[in-house]
Amino acid sequence: MSDQIVQLMSSTLIQGSLLAVISMGMTLVYGALRVLNMAQGVLVMMGGFVGYSVTTSLHASPWLGLLAALVVTFIAGVLTYYLSVKPLIGRRGVDFEMTAFISTFALATIMQNLILIGYGPRQKPFPPLLEGSINLTTSVSITYHQILIGVVGIVSLTFLGLFLSRSRYGLAITAISQNLDAARLMGVPVGRAYIITMGLAGSFAGLAGILLAPVYFVSPNAGDLPLLQALIIVIFAGLGSVKGTLYAAYIIGFVSSGVGIFLSSTYSLPVLYAVIVGLLIVRPNGISGRPQEVRL
Amino acid sequence: MLKVNRICSGYGDTQILEELSLDAKQGEITVVLGPNGHGKTTLLRTISGLLKTTSGEIEFDGTSISNEQPENIVSMGLTHIPQGDLLFPDMTVEENLLVGGFTLKNRASREKKLKAALEMFPQLGQRRSQRTRTLSGGERRMVALARGYMSDAKFIMIDEPSLGLAPVLVEEVYGYISTLTGTGVSVLIVEENFSHIKNFADMVYLVESGKVVASGPPAQVAADSAVMATYLGIQV
Repeated sequence: MSDQIVQLMSSTLIQGSLLAVISMGMTLVYGALRVLNMAQGVLVMMGGFVGYSVTTSLHASPWLGLLAALVVTFIAGVLTYYLSVKPLIGRRGVDFEMTAFISTFALATIMQNLILIGYGPRQKPFPPLLEGSINLTTSVSITYHQILIGVVGIVSLTFLGLFLSRSRYGLAITAISQNLDAARLMGVPVGRAYIITMGLAGSFAGLAGILLAPVYFVSPNAGDLPLLQALIIVIFAGLGSVKGTLYAAYIIGFVSSGVGIFLSSTYSLPVLYAVIVGLLIVRPNGISGRPQEVRL
Repeated sequence: MLKVNRICSGYGDTQILEELSLDAKQGEITVVLGPNGHGKTTLLRTISGLLKTTSGEIEFDGTSISNEQPENIVSMGLTHIPQGDLLFPDMTVEENLLVGGFTLKNRASREKKLKAALEMFPQLGQRRSQRTRTLSGGERRMVALARGYMSDAKFIMIDEPSLGLAPVLVEEVYGYISTLTGTGVSVLIVEENFSHIKNFADMVYLVESGKVVASGPPAQVAADSAVMATYLGIQV
């Protein structure tokens, strides 16, 4: 029994951190821009490919791959803004939220197919950032890579929290998500804040891509499941809520680990969806969501 | 200091301001007076860059600011405290004020200004780490004023500072505005209620249907009983 509890705790921590990193970018972008960025999954996949390219063609360490992935996905996030979001902002008579949802999806499809043409459909291996494993109890073992997922997740999310609540631009991004007009009247350059947000969201996707790569391999479809998970989490959390996203990620991590350990992993998804549907019936805006205002 | 010359502006195809002109002088308290729905808020939103002009010219400190981005206008020292406060509801009082100081680029100057703001509004000091969603109406108005003060403005435009407040609080809010002007800030106030500003304003512009229909020192405007009766329903 105590083994199972250790297993549950560690698994919740690992899965929760991973899910939080996967979905945080989507939350940031929705918060600031009111866009459900459908390219988020492709950016996760792209992170894996960047890491793969750096480690195989340059024979570099996967850590360098991580760094490269963070930079490239930051740029890709900014490009997503310029190509599929910015042209729609402030257009009269356009349902911005829906149109941007479709245009980011379109861009994601194009990027995914370019990678498919360039790299082919086959799954590619990616080495874990740390090799080896450790026994927590006699029957529960955990790989160093899993520990790393938990640590990197918590550290990066803490960094994000400090950025949003302490720094000049972080506070500005938070302010924009709560009242766009007021933020503009305080002198916040909204365009620049959007760029930073989309870039940062891209880097979170890239980080997730590298953390996932050793477990699920690198392939053009590697972003599909993360996209779905992120969508579920941000809706469960309440669109645009950073705190809600953290709660949602760890609750979902806990429920799916718990069901997997105490019942059977077959029931993980059905139970999870039942919990989500139940919560959304009681709180239609999610854990800490609020009714939304429209953008510009 | 702030010169508005025959501007037209509005929302989409609906024109609200029709060749409106006014001149707010440095060190003075200028008041834009008028009934609801006649373009007072639209005027402020146009000056601060949230709305575009279709014609006319806005000049601040000798520089044209027509159709400039709001962030550039704030950086020049012209701040707009919006109607209904528009606070950041899930941020604390302190965070709200720090966003107000966004144009101050270095952290030390923001902290210094924050300290000054909390000295000016001592009540907010006790509420520092409280989310503004949980404050009372009067406290929210104070956060809005303090947040506007944070921007280091030379000129502050305040949209209906007395809106929705109990009479005793209205007095308090106007007291704070006097403190603000005491620091050398020039002020433009939008107000519906003449009695709130009659002993306070240096210059009054009476706005109706997007146009200035009368202007002058408050005593002079009040002396024109026809104007007061027609536009404000006040029998003098």
